[in-house]
Amino acid sequence: MDIQYLKAWEAELNTCIRCAYCFEGCPVFKQLGWEVDSARGKAVLTYGLLTGELEPSDYVVRKIYECSFCKDCTERCSANVAIPDILAAARADLVSAGFVYDEHRELLDKIKQTGNIFGKELTPPIREGETPILLGCRFLERSEDAQRYLEILEKIGIKPKVFDEICCGMPFGVLGYKDELIHHQQEFRKRLPADEFICLCTTCIFFIKKSYPELNPKYVIEVIRERLPNVNVKKLGLKVTYHDPCNLARGLGMVKEPRDILRMIGVEVVELPTKGKEAECCGGGGGLLVTNLELAEKIAERRLNEAIALGVDMLVTLCPTCELNLGNIAKRGDKIEVKNLLDLVWQALK
Amino acid sequence: MGKQVDIKLLESIVGKDNVSNNPAIRYVYGTDASVHQSMPDVVVQPRTIEHVQEIMRYANAELIPVIPRGAGSGMSGHTVPIDGGIILDMKRMNRILEIRPEDMYCRVEPGVVDDDLNRALKPYGMFYPPSPASSRIATIGGEIGNNASGIRSVKYGATRDYVLGMKLVLANGYLVNLGATTRVEAAGYQIHRLIVGSEGTLGIIVEATMKFIPLPKLRCLGMATFDRIEYAGDAIADIITTGAEPSMLELMDHIAIKAVNTTLNMGLPDVEAIVLFEADGKVKEAVDYEMQTMKSICEKHHGEVKAMSYDAQERTRIYAGRKKLFAALSRYKEGLACTALADDMAVPYSKMAECAKKIHEVAEKYGVIMTAYGHCGAGVMHTKILMDPTKKEQWEAAKHAVEEIYNYVHSVGGITSGEHGIAISKAPSWKKARKDLLPVMRTIKRALDPNNILNPHKLMDAPEDWLTATPLRYWVKA
Repeated sequence: MDIQYLKAWEAELNTCIRCAYCFEGCPVFKQLGWEVDSARGKAVLTYGLLTGELEPSDYVVRKIYECSFCKDCTERCSANVAIPDILAAARADLVSAGFVYDEHRELLDKIKQTGNIFGKELTPPIREGETPILLGCRFLERSEDAQRYLEILEKIGIKPKVFDEICCGMPFGVLGYKDELIHHQQEFRKRLPADEFICLCTTCIFFIKKSYPELNPKYVIEVIRERLPNVNVKKLGLKVTYHDPCNLARGLGMVKEPRDILRMIGVEVVELPTKGKEAECCGGGGGLLVTNLELAEKIAERRLNEAIALGVDMLVTLCPTCELNLGNIAKRGDKIEVKNLLDLVWQALK
Repeated sequence: MGKQVDIKLLESIVGKDNVSNNPAIRYVYGTDASVHQSMPDVVVQPRTIEHVQEIMRYANAELIPVIPRGAGSGMSGHTVPIDGGIILDMKRMNRILEIRPEDMYCRVEPGVVDDDLNRALKPYGMFYPPSPASSRIATIGGEIGNNASGIRSVKYGATRDYVLGMKLVLANGYLVNLGATTRVEAAGYQIHRLIVGSEGTLGIIVEATMKFIPLPKLRCLGMATFDRIEYAGDAIADIITTGAEPSMLELMDHIAIKAVNTTLNMGLPDVEAIVLFEADGKVKEAVDYEMQTMKSICEKHHGEVKAMSYDAQERTRIYAGRKKLFAALSRYKEGLACTALADDMAVPYSKMAECAKKIHEVAEKYGVIMTAYGHCGAGVMHTKILMDPTKKEQWEAAKHAVEEIYNYVHSVGGITSGEHGIAISKAPSWKKARKDLLPVMRTIKRALDPNNILNPHKLMDAPEDWLTATPLRYWVKA
């Protein structure tokens, strides 16, 4: 196999001392139980591909893709070895070598054709305000929710400018389609009205901050936290648990902000056994929902059961993918409701 | 090398899902945290004692090597299968079988993670003290096999001090109950103690009976800085010999300090050495007394005490740099990797500072970087060799450095390994120093494992040159 992208990570792979501390929080390892499923195991696999000691096979490809990119491994690693970035490079080399999942290709073609991950002609709720708002594919598809979230912004004094956006490009990067990502990024940039904007989606904001260093987006929760004290809010008197999305907590370090907002709107948070930067993943990231839905749902089920054990009625989160994955499991059990924190903010401002 | 492994037969014992000879899985299980690499023929995850017995009966009959593996976090190559064979991944046998607070012991399966055991003991106000730094992932079986110890071993001892008994499957599949559940036992050979530190060469631990003790009510942690490492070494020796009772006494040299500051932005003082000292107990006056004693000793040896706190959060902050040091060393300098070589010698207290200086001197001589840190209160000095692992000449240099350091350590009455074990990479130096012991150990090994199938080529039977004992797990270029 021709190694192009992994080459750049040789030193990083040598930095990994293989201490196995990443076993502790790896959601895939917890489900599947073989060391090959852990972050260290995957680092060893990529090293094998890099050195040529390991031949790529369907099994190796599956293992390289069975990661939710939750970054728990990097967080627990004293040397902060960037396993998800290494895996993204490995995926890119595997794609170049012809190891392509039909499901991935289909998803990316949808983005190319329609600009969003659903492959649908979605019409953004255009607003001719001042501050550009990037909804992200998932909220673009949930148009009623998007309308409410835009109302939140209006109520806190922002005049949203909604434009004809396209996907931020995250799926291209995460699934290993680096060349196509470069092309897509150019198109994404063209659509942006300005370098400064507000982003509604946790995954988009993380990916944009990492992949478009020239841009200066703000995450919606930062803005709400800043402005909410200036408006009248209804205290909701709810007791919920809050699930930290990986991209927000570990990716951007935003752990306090959501909890502050919940406190401001009179919502008591009963914490899950793992929280903040140590929070367990829902299993929905890294393309796992497309690559291995069963595994993604098992991880979500584990997380949801922790929430149910707390005796709260509602699990609140911010990431629409967490909301989807956890929500799907919740609907089957009817023991807990999964909601977006923004829905509670809207309720408090109603 | 034994015969080809019968995968179907293993599947019939443990079930299809618990056996794999997939090349990718074999490749992953062919390494650990050491520098070595060698692939097993198959990896098996037993779930029961009977599974282990049946696997051993088969392997013994067919002369197939069997290597038990916990987290695979060993630094000397304990679980790297030089001759291939069967890796027994014991992590699925991870039940805490019984906690008896009234009798102060618990029974656990070998795959129980140290931190999980301590989490389970906490509601009873108890703890299992000898936890190594890797307690978040280290399994009790692995800790017993290696006689693990850690930061609090200066006060509480090592794993061997907490093993009351165990169930052991011998090489021929025979299950034997060793030890007792009582604190004392005077009934013949203390074979369970022999198994502690035997590195998987004498039997497969399938259950362990461990004692535990009450959690201390108070802990206080202090940090002292020193402009010269000799002063820090003198302070450590003085603290121990004056009868103070630290529950932790750690040293970090300037390389260790730079590593955590660079990687973790810890902001530790830029000095030649830091000593962390802790006392714990039930009564504040008693803990205060210990802390003041240690503080005074540090100051007597030109140390400056920068922090002292009972507060849990503050203690976490003070200790954070030391806790994450091992991996942080990998970020010391671009292009250098942190290799686990000559990593845990123990020397007499009076030689601690001299040993640190010797390590730095040898490192300079051979063009590598070596740090000196560790549980100096227990006599353990950790080092790591930081080098460019892609360069062949760096490995040759490392080999000479390791040899010279161990020659020094042995010359001052020190030992090869304080807590990480011998396995492959430390065997040459250890064997050289303990020639008299090797025939005795080989006799014991032959008695319990006549076919030499249990983790062969380790300890006394390890190759004479660690550098060529197995392929290196790094990509070394010409």
